Amino acid sequence: MGDFDFVYITQTVGDGLLFGSTYALIGIGFTLIFGAMGKLNMTYAAASLGGAYVGLAAFTFVNAPALVVFLVSALASGIVGFIAYLTCFRFIPIHNHLAALMASIGGLFFIDEIVIHTTDGSPLTFPAMFEDVMFELGPLGIRGDLLFVFAVCIAATAGLLFVLYRSRLGLATRAVSQQDVAARLCGIDVHRTNAVTFVLAGLLGGIAGAMTAAAVGVLSPLITIPLTVKGLIVTVIGGLGSIPGAIVAGLMVGALENVFLYFRGVNERDMYVLLLLFVFLVFRPHGIFGSAISRD
Amino acid sequence: MLELQGLTKHFGGVKALNELDLTVEEGGIIGLIGPNGSGKSTAINLICGVYGETAGTVHFRGVLMNGKPPHQRLRAGIARTFQNIRLFPELTVWQNLWVAQNSPQDISRQRFLPRWFGTTRQARKEIADLLELADLAHKGDELASNLAFGEQRRLEFARAAAARPLLLLLDEPAAGMSRQEIDDLGQRIRRLRDSGVTILLVEHMMELVMGVTEQIAVLNFGHRIAFGTPGEVQSDRAVQEAYLGTDATESGPAGGSA
Repeated sequence: MGDFDFVYITQTVGDGLLFGSTYALIGIGFTLIFGAMGKLNMTYAAASLGGAYVGLAAFTFVNAPALVVFLVSALASGIVGFIAYLTCFRFIPIHNHLAALMASIGGLFFIDEIVIHTTDGSPLTFPAMFEDVMFELGPLGIRGDLLFVFAVCIAATAGLLFVLYRSRLGLATRAVSQQDVAARLCGIDVHRTNAVTFVLAGLLGGIAGAMTAAAVGVLSPLITIPLTVKGLIVTVIGGLGSIPGAIVAGLMVGALENVFLYFRGVNERDMYVLLLLFVFLVFRPHGIFGSAISRD
Repeated sequence: MLELQGLTKHFGGVKALNELDLTVEEGGIIGLIGPNGSGKSTAINLICGVYGETAGTVHFRGVLMNGKPPHQRLRAGIARTFQNIRLFPELTVWQNLWVAQNSPQDISRQRFLPRWFGTTRQARKEIADLLELADLAHKGDELASNLAFGEQRRLEFARAAAARPLLLLLDEPAAGMSRQEIDDLGQRIRRLRDSGVTILLVEHMMELVMGVTEQIAVLNFGHRIAFGTPGEVQSDRAVQEAYLGTDATESGPAGGSA
């Protein structure tokens, strides 16, 4: 809990913005699947951290370099995303939202329990990159590891946007989310494109999970629920289904969270983040970029 | 080419379509007409697989289609347009056609990566041809939702053709069109037929139906009441009664929705 110190606050907001990029990625993952199916995939943050654990295994057992660890995390999380689709969404009738939601909450705890049992619930050290690099910017400092996390998140987002807006694969998934009856009748296999969306979101989540762990330096099952909650907050504040919204909201939550931390301490921080969600739900329930939700 | 046998659809107690038998020969333009609620749209939705049938069979080129999802029927060669336009609003005109290139030739021609992440010269040429056919060549990069009504209808027509169908189902393609636009549509339909596509036209606009079709089936209250050339159908007594509303229809059962 600090006094008002301009330099320190700027520093804290800057760090928060950089770290907020991981929230943005998680938010994009939630929003992507909501956009495609109109459903929340609650396994998402758990799958993302699960992927990071698989990456960590590559580090622990074969001493893989950090970049390979991140890559393995993304791939593993993509596979978990596919499994989550098959188990929690594929065979549940499309209009039964509650069943899919409950199934995916079950998936969330299932993944979490697997992690707890294989690691005995203890936190593990996660490799970072450039952690001893510090850029000076006048009185401010930019942590090298956070800057790396930020850069990776930007690159991952750019890659995703390219796929969604320029490749036929991404256009097909967007066609399904915009007009699914017509998409079927244009020969698009809706189940397959939905699976593709889950894998894409999963790849992104694995990167987010690995970057979260790299920024914090440890990987622990205790992160799962807070990351799920933060991801959902970001998704709602950004506007369900809006990717630009998730990006802006992710950075905003990251920055404000650090401001709350600075003024009110770590015990009260999340309380204010939830208050922020409350304010949005009351005054702008469709989020920053979300349009009033309507369905055909 | 298309053979419907005893095709029946009930929505709860409403019998939207009752034991429809219809055979569509290859290479023609067949009209399917009838008053509102007579089961035309239901028939289309059963043929392309949006609804499951209550009873009866749909054979396409000798293959039983019952139970197959719409995307598989499309790949077998059945494409359609919609009465209420259903484009992909936030994709460009060009992209709307691109994602609709799902014919078996397109799928077998390309491997996974080029199919989903790139285009071929031939695919681009086909899209250019379709844009030309729909008179939308100058609008390729426009978002579909920004098009005028008539342009959206033309794009939907082109999008259905992008799948290189053998049979194209047109669900009231002339609704809301001006006389000039209807004439253009008639020419477009004939051009597509000349390129080897069989067309089943569901339409209210009698001018278009009588002008382009070679044979017409007439439905009323879910039953087929007549089948023949436009001339034969026009002089058919049952058809006249159905359209002009005599005792036969007024004492009939309450019709379902279209």
